[in-house]
Amino acid sequence: MLAVEHVSKAFAGVQALDDVNVEIGVNEVVGLVGENGAGKSTLMRILAGVYSPDHGSLKLDGAPVFLRSPRDANLNGIGIVFQEQSLLQNLTVGENIYLGQEAEFTRLGLINRRRLNAAARRQLDKVEVDIDPRTRTSELSFAARQMVELAKALALEERTERHLVILLDEPTSVLEQRDIDILFARVRALKQRASFVFVSHRLDEILSLSDRIYVMKDGRVVGRMQAGSTTVPQLHQMMVGRDRHAEYYRESRQHAPREEIVMEARGLSVAGAYREVDFVLHRGEVLGIAGVVGSGREELTRTLFGFVSQTEGTLVIDGHEVRLNVPSQAADRGIGYIPRERRTEGLVLSLPLAVNVTLSRLPTSRITGTISLSRELRLAKSWVDKLRIRTPSVEALCLNLSGGNQQKVVLAKWMNARAHILIFDHPTRGLDVGAKEEVYELIRDLSEEGVGIVLTADTLEETIGLCHSILVMRDGQVTARFDASPGRKPSQVDLIRHMV
Amino acid sequence: MEPQIGPPSADRGTPPQISSPERRDRNSRRPLSRLKPYAPFFALVALSLLIGAMNARFFEFNNLIRIANSAAIPLVLALGMTFVIVLGSIDLSVEGVLAIGAVLISLLVRNNSNTNDFGWFGVVLAILACGAIGCANGAIHVGLRIPSFMVTLGMWFIGVGVATLLLGGSTVRVVDKGIRSLALERFLDFPIAVWIALGTLGITWIIERQTRIGRYIYAIGGGEDLAALSGIPVRRVKIIVFTIAGTLFGLGGLLSAAQLGLGNALIGSGRLFSTVTAVVVGGTALTGGEGGVINTLVGVMIMAVLGNGMVLLGISPDLQLGVQGVLIILAVALSLDRARLKIVK
Amino acid sequence: MATKSFRAGGGRVRAAIPIVLLVGLVILIGALQPSFLTADTLLVVMADTATLFILAAGITFVVMLGGIDLSIQAVASLSSVIVAVSLSRIGYWTFPETLLVGFVTGAFSGVVHVSLRIPSFIVTLATSGLVAAAALLLSQERSITIGESGRAYLSWITGRPFGMPSVIIIGALVAGAGIWLQSYTPFGRYSTAIGAGEAATWASGVKVNRQKVIAYSLSAGLASLAGILLTGRLSSGSPTLANELLLPAIAAVVVGGTSITGGAGGIGRTVIGALIISVVRVGMTFVGVDIFAQQIVFGTVLILAVAITIDRTKILIVK
Repeated sequence: MLAVEHVSKAFAGVQALDDVNVEIGVNEVVGLVGENGAGKSTLMRILAGVYSPDHGSLKLDGAPVFLRSPRDANLNGIGIVFQEQSLLQNLTVGENIYLGQEAEFTRLGLINRRRLNAAARRQLDKVEVDIDPRTRTSELSFAARQMVELAKALALEERTERHLVILLDEPTSVLEQRDIDILFARVRALKQRASFVFVSHRLDEILSLSDRIYVMKDGRVVGRMQAGSTTVPQLHQMMVGRDRHAEYYRESRQHAPREEIVMEARGLSVAGAYREVDFVLHRGEVLGIAGVVGSGREELTRTLFGFVSQTEGTLVIDGHEVRLNVPSQAADRGIGYIPRERRTEGLVLSLPLAVNVTLSRLPTSRITGTISLSRELRLAKSWVDKLRIRTPSVEALCLNLSGGNQQKVVLAKWMNARAHILIFDHPTRGLDVGAKEEVYELIRDLSEEGVGIVLTADTLEETIGLCHSILVMRDGQVTARFDASPGRKPSQVDLIRHMV
Repeated sequence: MEPQIGPPSADRGTPPQISSPERRDRNSRRPLSRLKPYAPFFALVALSLLIGAMNARFFEFNNLIRIANSAAIPLVLALGMTFVIVLGSIDLSVEGVLAIGAVLISLLVRNNSNTNDFGWFGVVLAILACGAIGCANGAIHVGLRIPSFMVTLGMWFIGVGVATLLLGGSTVRVVDKGIRSLALERFLDFPIAVWIALGTLGITWIIERQTRIGRYIYAIGGGEDLAALSGIPVRRVKIIVFTIAGTLFGLGGLLSAAQLGLGNALIGSGRLFSTVTAVVVGGTALTGGEGGVINTLVGVMIMAVLGNGMVLLGISPDLQLGVQGVLIILAVALSLDRARLKIVK
Repeated sequence: MATKSFRAGGGRVRAAIPIVLLVGLVILIGALQPSFLTADTLLVVMADTATLFILAAGITFVVMLGGIDLSIQAVASLSSVIVAVSLSRIGYWTFPETLLVGFVTGAFSGVVHVSLRIPSFIVTLATSGLVAAAALLLSQERSITIGESGRAYLSWITGRPFGMPSVIIIGALVAGAGIWLQSYTPFGRYSTAIGAGEAATWASGVKVNRQKVIAYSLSAGLASLAGILLTGRLSSGSPTLANELLLPAIAAVVVGGTSITGGAGGIGRTVIGALIISVVRVGMTFVGVDIFAQQIVFGTVLILAVAITIDRTKILIVK
């Protein structure tokens, strides 16, 4: 009924979707699985009218459709329950369900609240929740808000002739089991009125709810099957593809860590994000943290640089127990952070390269405390040479550098600040293959120089290839630890089994 | 808008059903947070009782009339400001627009400086002109994508300048009886101006509660990007809101001219500060999406009662500015949801 | 300016526009009114510019961060009252005392702004209320004329060493110190970086809050200095003395080419901006524009200059 045909989409040169074909039948639940970055979210956003495809098309009942906006998608019967919820917290439930649709309830310029709320109540009845439409949305639990979003999507029934398709983008990632059961029961009951596309990291859920399953990897569909004819291990295997060997990981380039401990976590917890994390980081060690979105690994990474501070447990740096409340405290302790959001958190884009390189540690005169501009230029030049940063000059604005060179500037900044612990948060995101390879090489060099590294990588291959040891997290807890030193690399399936 | 990342398998105790949908993560402090919206109202009651206890004349009927009278103009101005602040924007042009309104009215009705006598027609014209200035504020703000505080800061001084130019720096007296009667005549013991302010309150209340514009103002204040995704005409709504604000500032100009019986360029001096304070003290958050005209009524009453009380208790009126300064900081500090703001400029 | 030695090509053109504008204006007015181009007239114009410039220089520190200070006119007025009240009692000690009050006021704004996370325009609006109340109380709502005995202490302001009005010298000193602060000290560098990209600067380990408090202190401190100079030139203090100066001061900053969103510009540009504002004012007087109507021009210029210099990529949702 709804078909995605040969759809491709690229962002800044990175192929997010590559010739994807997906079909959604009437009254069918289609499951979509894949690792982080496999292209599921991009596909969902194309279906929802948020992005438009570079190539290929969407077809509804055989006729091509162009979705220019989420509203367009709605008018064609496509409703979305986004992972980051789209309800306005300061409006009531009823107001949210009919936001932008008040015209139906307006006479002489005045909205008839009673009729609007009665209509909203009808929608809520469809999902069998007992919520007063006059409740303020912020008063609801996350699970209840999700049901409201579902009801909002179902309200489309009355506005379109089309058969409904409802997109569920990881609806279960923050729900408790009990709420998940309720949600699934509703979805099964609603199959008569609508088709569903369901994205989740939890394969058992996908298997239990879906009729058919698509497996995605690196922007392609690598498998399509009936839910009854597959198993969790088979899905794992398809999600990671073929296993890699020692040469692929360049194990010979990896150096053994030293004895000295630079960072240690004992029972580290952040309420609502992760619990009871223990690890030890040695000089020259690369410690990987693996886990899907929502596993708590992003928050853990950010705790180590003071963006959030732990609610429980201790963090020990160079033998001192510390509590990092702001990044400057982390920087003072010799920690550096290479952020995922390179363009907002990594660099001040509108300032020159040299200024960025010295931002964490200015070359100031010991006597007057003033900046020596000539020394600054020399420093910047030496880092440009050392890291082979390709730039017309050290005075070029970071804005004009390529992604890979920007990332090197971020690194130069922390190396200039003499950081001896580096937190890499998705360091290769958005880089092309060559630039990625250069970043890997720099991480190996830093490890050799004795810098302790915590790495949250984009792919499992990166994690396995670069790290000496790996921590796997799921649902806020550490579920496994792997030794990943050369010769003893775990396979991707080993990791993913503990992730999902 | 951040999803609450609840501990996925934590608190296995008695997780409530979806059918009891209150949010759990706020359980511990719910009683307090439930009361928070009413805090300004309680503050008003407590303040009244306190002043009444210290000086019994506070509760005399004549004093209540006096308070209502002193609150009329601030209420009209603050109502205009309310929608702007609910959007998450600000309008600093109050004093300028008010001055233009008052001066235009003084020059168009019977006065001691020219031979005009357009009466109420002139009043309507002047207020429409103020609406047009508000409209210009909104159009420049959304059209050139300049922060509203900058646009309206410029417009503030343009307004004062135009008003000065119209009068050549002098003052003009309003002779028109009809206009003066707004402040001098009474209906059911209260000056007409008070009834006009209450009428304005009613109309803005209907706009807020019963119209699409009202709904959209809150949607934009609560999340502009989400509102746009829902197909709300964000730019048009913003321009309309600034137009409403300008119109009400013009109405404030009419009441000011009626009260003082004159128009001059500095007639609005000090109004911006008291207007913003009243709106914010009433519980409307500067971040947008919260509060409303009833909050503003409470905020204006707090300011009026405070001012009246200070006079009754013999406290120097000079202190009022200082008290407003403290109040505004307190109110903003209490109302801000700091978790939502990462970078504050 | 903080990144003086590495300004980008595009920025150089942008920085040149205000200078070209200033020169053009001077020539234009000189053509209409040849007496304008005499040394005496130009000195008078510059002396008139000095106080405006010092106010604007203070705001420049704050605007570089992406904030705004709406309390400077109140601080300057309060300072004038303090000087007028205490000059006859404590003599020269008045000046450090007044400056201290200014700095403390600014530090107060800054601390409230960063610790309670209240937008700067609201905090400084509130501060201006507090300061105005203090000025009204202290002066008992009067304008205070400084007597003969007090005027002796003001000669350093009114004097003309080597034929040069001393306010010009003071203004030049402030300009020099400001440019030095912004170009050669960590504070200046961090301010630029915060304005250009606060998140990245914060994540680089810079103590952002500290820089902000310093900037607001400097802003109010310089406002205080401007208040002192005004008092000296007028020989009187009043609680509303500087009220008309807020808008021209902000306009001077923006017209000079400092972006209201922060991160680009500096005190050097504010010198040009302040001179432009002064010359425009003189020019308008020559052409016969009503002194009061000049506010219209400044308001319009402000909006236009902001529209031209603002960096729209930095604000996704304009409130």
